[in-house]
Amino acid sequence: MERPARRTVLVGSALTLVLGLAGCGIAPDPADAELSDGEVTLSITWWGADARHQATLDAIELFEKEHPRITVEPTYSDWSGYWDRLATTAAAADMPDVVQFDQLYLSSYAGRGALLDLDAVPQFLDASSLPENVLASGTVDGRLYAVPIGVAGNGVVLNTSLFEKYGVPVPDTDTWTWDDFDAAAEAISEASGGEAYGVSPFGWESFSLGIFARQRGDELFDAEGDVAIDPDTLAAYWQQELDWIESGAAPDAAHLSEQQGLPLDQGDTVLGRTAMSFQPGGLFTAIAAAAPDFDYEIVDWPTDPGTPPGFQYPKPSMYWAASSQSEHPAEAALLIDFLVNDPEVAQAFGTERGIPANEQFQADLEPTLDEAGRKALTFTEQVTDRSGNAPPITPNGASEVDTMLSRYNQRVQFGDLTPEQAADAFIEELRSAVEAAG
Amino acid sequence: MSAIGELRTLRRTGRGRLSPAQKEAEAKERRRDSRAALVFLAPWLVGLFGITVGPVLASLYLAFTDYNLLQDPNFVGLENVQRMLGDERLGRSLAATLTYVVVSVPIQLVVALALAYLLDRGIRGLAFYRSVLYLPSLLGASVAIAVLWRLVFGGEGLVNAFLGLFGITGPAWVAEPETALGTLIVLHVWTFGAPMVIFLAGLRQIPRQYYDAAATDGANRWQQLRSITLPLLSPIIFFNLVLGLIGTFQSFTQAYIVSNGSGGPTDSTLFFSLYLYQEGFAGFRMGYASALAWLLLLIIGAFTALNFWASKYWVFYDD
Amino acid sequence: MTTETLATPDPTIDPAAEPGDRPLTVTQRRRRPRILAHVGLILVAVVMLYPLLWMVTSSLRPNDQIFTHPGLFVDTFDLSHYPDGWNALSKPFGSYLLNSVVVVLGSVVGNLVSCSMAAYAFARLKFRAKTVAFAAMLLTIMLPVHVLIIPQYVLFAQLGWINTYLPLIVPKLLATDAFFVFLMVQFVRGIPRELDEAARIDGAGHARIFLQVILPLMVPALATTTIFTFIWTWNDFFSQLIFVTDPDLYTVPVALRQFIDAQSQSDFGALFAMSVVSLVPVFLVFLFGQRFLLRGIATTGGK
Repeated sequence: MERPARRTVLVGSALTLVLGLAGCGIAPDPADAELSDGEVTLSITWWGADARHQATLDAIELFEKEHPRITVEPTYSDWSGYWDRLATTAAAADMPDVVQFDQLYLSSYAGRGALLDLDAVPQFLDASSLPENVLASGTVDGRLYAVPIGVAGNGVVLNTSLFEKYGVPVPDTDTWTWDDFDAAAEAISEASGGEAYGVSPFGWESFSLGIFARQRGDELFDAEGDVAIDPDTLAAYWQQELDWIESGAAPDAAHLSEQQGLPLDQGDTVLGRTAMSFQPGGLFTAIAAAAPDFDYEIVDWPTDPGTPPGFQYPKPSMYWAASSQSEHPAEAALLIDFLVNDPEVAQAFGTERGIPANEQFQADLEPTLDEAGRKALTFTEQVTDRSGNAPPITPNGASEVDTMLSRYNQRVQFGDLTPEQAADAFIEELRSAVEAAG
Repeated sequence: MSAIGELRTLRRTGRGRLSPAQKEAEAKERRRDSRAALVFLAPWLVGLFGITVGPVLASLYLAFTDYNLLQDPNFVGLENVQRMLGDERLGRSLAATLTYVVVSVPIQLVVALALAYLLDRGIRGLAFYRSVLYLPSLLGASVAIAVLWRLVFGGEGLVNAFLGLFGITGPAWVAEPETALGTLIVLHVWTFGAPMVIFLAGLRQIPRQYYDAAATDGANRWQQLRSITLPLLSPIIFFNLVLGLIGTFQSFTQAYIVSNGSGGPTDSTLFFSLYLYQEGFAGFRMGYASALAWLLLLIIGAFTALNFWASKYWVFYDD
Repeated sequence: MTTETLATPDPTIDPAAEPGDRPLTVTQRRRRPRILAHVGLILVAVVMLYPLLWMVTSSLRPNDQIFTHPGLFVDTFDLSHYPDGWNALSKPFGSYLLNSVVVVLGSVVGNLVSCSMAAYAFARLKFRAKTVAFAAMLLTIMLPVHVLIIPQYVLFAQLGWINTYLPLIVPKLLATDAFFVFLMVQFVRGIPRELDEAARIDGAGHARIFLQVILPLMVPALATTTIFTFIWTWNDFFSQLIFVTDPDLYTVPVALRQFIDAQSQSDFGALFAMSVVSLVPVFLVFLFGQRFLLRGIATTGGK
C-alpha cells in the first residue's frame, strides 16, 4: 500500500544527493567577474603546521585591513586531512574560494573544471612579478590556474657535521661527478661502522625521478600530459638505488622501507643517520631547524661529463588557486594577488612556504634570513640561473604517481621485481590511470 | 546447570496449543506491541530514512558510475565489476584483510574474555587493573601510536633490543612485507579494552542465584564456567564476535597511520578500506571505490549472516 | 572453542602442591593462584602502560630527542611543552577541549536515549518486519565511511549544517549507531522475562516497563555505551575534520593535528603534551563510569 510511495521517497532523496555533487553545478563564466558593491565573505584554506597557520592568519589580517568590505574565513589542517576535506567539499560544490595547491593535484582539479581560470581575471590578479618558466608550472592546457608561491630545486642535502665526525672530506660539490658522490657515500658508511650511512637514496617520489630523467635528457611526462619516460631511465633510477644498497653506501631495504614517507622530524636526515639525501629545497630550512645540532648544506646534484645542462628547474613548492564555483571570483583573485604581490605578506611568510617565487621578494627577504634560510636562497638562485625549461606538471589522473612509485620501489628493494620489470609495470599502471582520467 | 535446564523447560512448555481466546489476546498484544514499536523506533526510523538511507543509496548508484568527485557521474553499467576481476591490488588487499580478520578477531576475543573473567572474580585492585588494561584503547589510533609502533617494532626497536639479549637479530618488523601485517595484528589484539569491558558488563549481569544453585548442586568452578557463565554470556560473546568482524573488516586507521597511508610495504597491509580510500580520494575514482565498498558490504554481510545462522546452535537467550 | 583458554587456576585443585609438600592451610592454598593471577596481570599491565608512559615522557623531552629514545628514562625534565602547547594554536587549547566536550555530551545523551529505545523495541516487542529492520540496521554499519562521507556532506550542506556540530550530534540522537543498539538488545535479552511479566500484571504499559524495569537493570550496558561513546567521539578525527571547518570550532583531535605536518617542521613535544592533557578527561570518565559497570542485576537486587 504505502510501499511504492516510500520507495519513491527513498530514490528521490538519494537522487537529490547525487545531484548535489559538484559536476552538476554550472560554474559562472569568470570573464564576467566583477567586484561586488556590498560586503563579501571569502573562504581560504591551506595545509601546514602551526607556524604556517600563524603567518597566514597575519597575512589575512593585512588583506582585510586593506579591503574592509571583505571578510576572509580561514580553515586549515595537516597535509593528509587537507586533501580529504578538499575533495569532499569540491565534490559537494562547496570548495573554499581560495585554495593552497600542490602540483600533484593541480591538473586533476583544473582538468576537471574545479578551478578558476586566472587568465580570465587579469584586472584583479597580476602575476607578472613571477618569472615566465615558474608561471608555466601553474598552467594547465595553456591557461593559468594556479599561482606559484615558493620555488626550489631538488638538491643534495649534506650533513657536514657527519663528514667532519667521520673524517671524510666534503667533496667539491661545484664540480662533483657521480663517482665522487659514490666514493664519499661509501667512505661515510665505512668510517661510521654502521652508525650512519652515506646516502638515503631516491626511488620513491616523482621530483627526484624528474631530475634524474632530465639528467639523461628524458622527461616523466610530455606536454600532452602523457607518460613519456623511457623504461630504461626508470630502471636505471632504481638500479642506482640497488647499487648503493649493494655497496653499503645506503642502508638495506628494510631500513629504507621503514623510512619511506616518514614525517621529516623522524627521518634519517634530521636524526643524523645519513650524510647525504635528495631533498626538495623547500624543506631545507625545516630540516635545519629540526636538527640544531647538525650543520647542513644544500647543493646541486652531481653530474657526469655528458650530462645536459639545465636539468634543474625551480619547481613551485605550492600554489594559490581559486574555485571555479566561487561566488566571488573577483575578490578571490584579489586575495591571491595580495598574497603573491604584497611585500608585507612576503615578510610575514618568510621562507616558511619555500623561497618566494617573486624575485623582488627574494632580495627583500635576504637580510632577514638566518643561516639556513640564506643557504636555501643561494641554492634556489643557483638553480634558477642554471634552469632549463620547466617540465610539464603532473597530468590529470596521475595524482597518485608518488604512491605508485613508492609501491614499485619497495617491490624492487625487496627483490620482488627487477628494476626493468618494475619500470614496465609502473609505466603501464600510470598510463592507464592517466588515460582513464581522459 | 540445573537452573538453565529449568529455564529451558519453562520456555518449551510455554509454547503449547492456543485456545481461540488466547489467540485473540495474542493478536491484541501484537497490535499493542506494533504501536509501541513505532514509538520506540521513531528516532531510529527518522534517522534511517532522513540521514542513513540517502547516502547509502547514493553510494550504490555511484558504484555503477565513473564518478571522479569533480564531474558528473556517468552510468557505466558493470564496468567497475569487470575492473575488479582483473585488479591485482584488490586481490592482495582481500588477502591481507582476510588474514587480519581471521587471525586477530578470535585472539582478541579470547584475550578479552579471559581477562574479563579474571577481573570479574573480585580480585584485589580490580579497578586499577581494569583501567590499566583499558588504557591502550583510550589512546585510540593517534599519531603517537604510529611513532611508538616504529620505535617498538622497527629494525632498532625495543622488540629487537630484547631479542638481542638472547643473541637473536630480529627483522625490521614494521618494514618487512612478511611481518608488517603481524605487527598490525598485535596492535589490534593489544586494544582489547572495548570487548573486555563489554564482557565485564555482561558477566556482571548474570544473576548470582544461578551460581548459588549450582554450588548447592556441587558444581565446581570449571563446571560453573561451562554450564552457567558461558551460556549466559553467549549473547554478549555473539555480539562481540559479530561487531568485531564488522569492525575489523573495515579496519582503516591502524594501517593508515602505521604505513603512512600506503598500505605498504608492498601492499602487505593494504586493508580493504584503505584500498578503496586510496582509489576514491587519491585516485579520484570514487565510482570504483563505491563498487568496492559494496563488495565489502556483501562480504561482511555474508559473514554476519553465517554468524546469525550459527548462533542458533550456541547462543542462549533467556527470553 | 574458547573454553580451554579460559581455564584459570582452580582454587580447589592446586597444581603446585606436590605430594611431599607440607599440607597447606586453606587460606594459603587459595592465595597462591591469586598471586599468580596478580603476577600475570601486572606483567600484562606493564605492556599496556608502556605507550602511555612513553607519551608522557616524550612530552617532557626536547623535540630532537623524541624519536631517538624508545625508553622511558628522561634525563632532562622539560615541562615547557605544556604551557607552549596550550598556547601555541590560535586559541588556548582549553577552548578545543570545551568544543569536544559539547560534541561528546550531545553524542552520549543521544546514544543513551535513542539506542536504548530502539533496543527495547527489538528485544521485547513483536512487530512486523522486525528481522528485516534489524538486518537493515546492521547493514548500515557495514559500508565504509569513505564512500558515504560525500553524500553525507551534500545532505548536511543542503540542511545548512556544515560548520556546526549538528552533523556530529543529530545522527546520534537518531540511533544511527547500530553498535550500541545491538549491544543493548543483547543485554535486554539477558534480563529475565518474568520481570516484565510481573510488571505487566501490575498494569504497567511498555513505557513504564522500559523506564522502571528494563533501564535500571541495564545500567552496565548504559555505562558501557556512555564510556565508549565518550571515548570514540573524543578520538574521532575524520568526520570532525570534514564537517567542521571553522578553526574556532575545531575539536581536540583536529586541533592536535595542527601541531604536525609531514612536509614542514612539526612540534611533536607540544603534540604529545596536549595529547596527554586531552587524555585526562577520557580517563576520568572511564574511572568514574566503570563503577556503574559493576551495578549488574546482582547488585540491583534482581527478583
